[in-house]
Amino acid sequence: MTKNPRFRSGLLASLVPFGFNVERWSYVLHRASGVILIGYLAAHLFETFQLSMGQGAWANTMATLHSLGPLEMVGLWIVAGSALYHGANGIRLVLNEMFGMLMGRPIMPVYPYSPTSLGRNQKLAVWATTAVVLVLWLWAGLYLLAGLGVV
Amino acid sequence: MDKITLEVLRSGKKRTSYELKYRKGMTVLDALVEVREKQDSSLAYRHSCRMGICGSCGMNIQGVPRLACQTQVSTLGKETVKVEPLHGMRVIRDLVVDIDPFLTMHTSVKPYLIRENPSERDNSDREYRVLSEEVGRFLQFDFCIMCGLCYSACPTIALDPDYLGPQAIAQAYRYMADPRDEGWEERVELLDRPHGVWRCHVAGSCSFVCPKDVDPAKAIQLARVEVLKKRFLRKKPRAGSPLVSLVPVVAPKQGTKAPPFDFRKGEAK
Repeated sequence: MTKNPRFRSGLLASLVPFGFNVERWSYVLHRASGVILIGYLAAHLFETFQLSMGQGAWANTMATLHSLGPLEMVGLWIVAGSALYHGANGIRLVLNEMFGMLMGRPIMPVYPYSPTSLGRNQKLAVWATTAVVLVLWLWAGLYLLAGLGVV
Repeated sequence: MDKITLEVLRSGKKRTSYELKYRKGMTVLDALVEVREKQDSSLAYRHSCRMGICGSCGMNIQGVPRLACQTQVSTLGKETVKVEPLHGMRVIRDLVVDIDPFLTMHTSVKPYLIRENPSERDNSDREYRVLSEEVGRFLQFDFCIMCGLCYSACPTIALDPDYLGPQAIAQAYRYMADPRDEGWEERVELLDRPHGVWRCHVAGSCSFVCPKDVDPAKAIQLARVEVLKKRFLRKKPRAGSPLVSLVPVVAPKQGTKAPPFDFRKGEAK
């Protein structure tokens, strides 16, 4: 028996949405935003833990963060985007998974096939989610730039 | 387009290219057959019916799982057609993959009618009543040809090989929705497990690649609703539809219509 030389298992295979449907892209973004949020949570816990180490440690941590300059704000902007996307897309997924909404009813397939679970309602939900997230993310960016005194 | 190049990922990490003359209406399977007959008889692939019924010729074409017999080269829009074995399955040789894990998942959900009294099912001289509106609840999921495309496209399978997979869950739901079946509770327990219905994250790729519009993503969500009904609403299994007398087959006289049959009562009106 020969092993498949291109056997794409694990994380890589699940993160390859090229050629697939828009919901697959949504799946990948949901996972990616989740990983970013976990990373942020760990960093945030480490940051607040410094408070227990004394005022000096806290001041050092803050100084290190501020020394990143605009990168700190870029990082926060990415975290804000991740939180927005993960939350908004999560609502769509709860409707899908817990209530079977947006999936359509069982039908008699008629050629050319068009699965109702990826139909108009689902697409509308995916694009509406994306649009809302983009608008809020832009607003978050402007808010952060205002914090820097740029706008 | 006069010529096409078929680029096949073969065993041993070999990517072999074959040049072919393009014919109008040529499918990827036609191209593979031509390569095997005229250029390289060692090329291994599966096929049987050539018309999208047997589900044998599933393979990755331009990175997406498709049936080779139903994929016309012209629809791919490129002169180079990249063909690979289905992902998520072990390769036996060239484009032939081992579908045993997929079939094991299928059989594990008991894809057959379960009755409390099996003898009634196995030695019956009568038949179960199913109304046409009840057929509509599961017929779509009955069209599965077990080609394995959904299994290969599923990103969860790539992460969790023990996951039941879209095909198996769709088949479990097909029987859960069947009024003749009395195994609702048994199947809910099969699905309500860590590697069961909860591993689906609605990427929808299974429905996207399904060549028969079985729509496994929909079946999985509907199955999940059934599991939730048992968990939170304490839904009880219903009794299966009763046995009724066989529908009398009486050929109507020429020029007359057959007497209408009342399926609810199981007798002629």
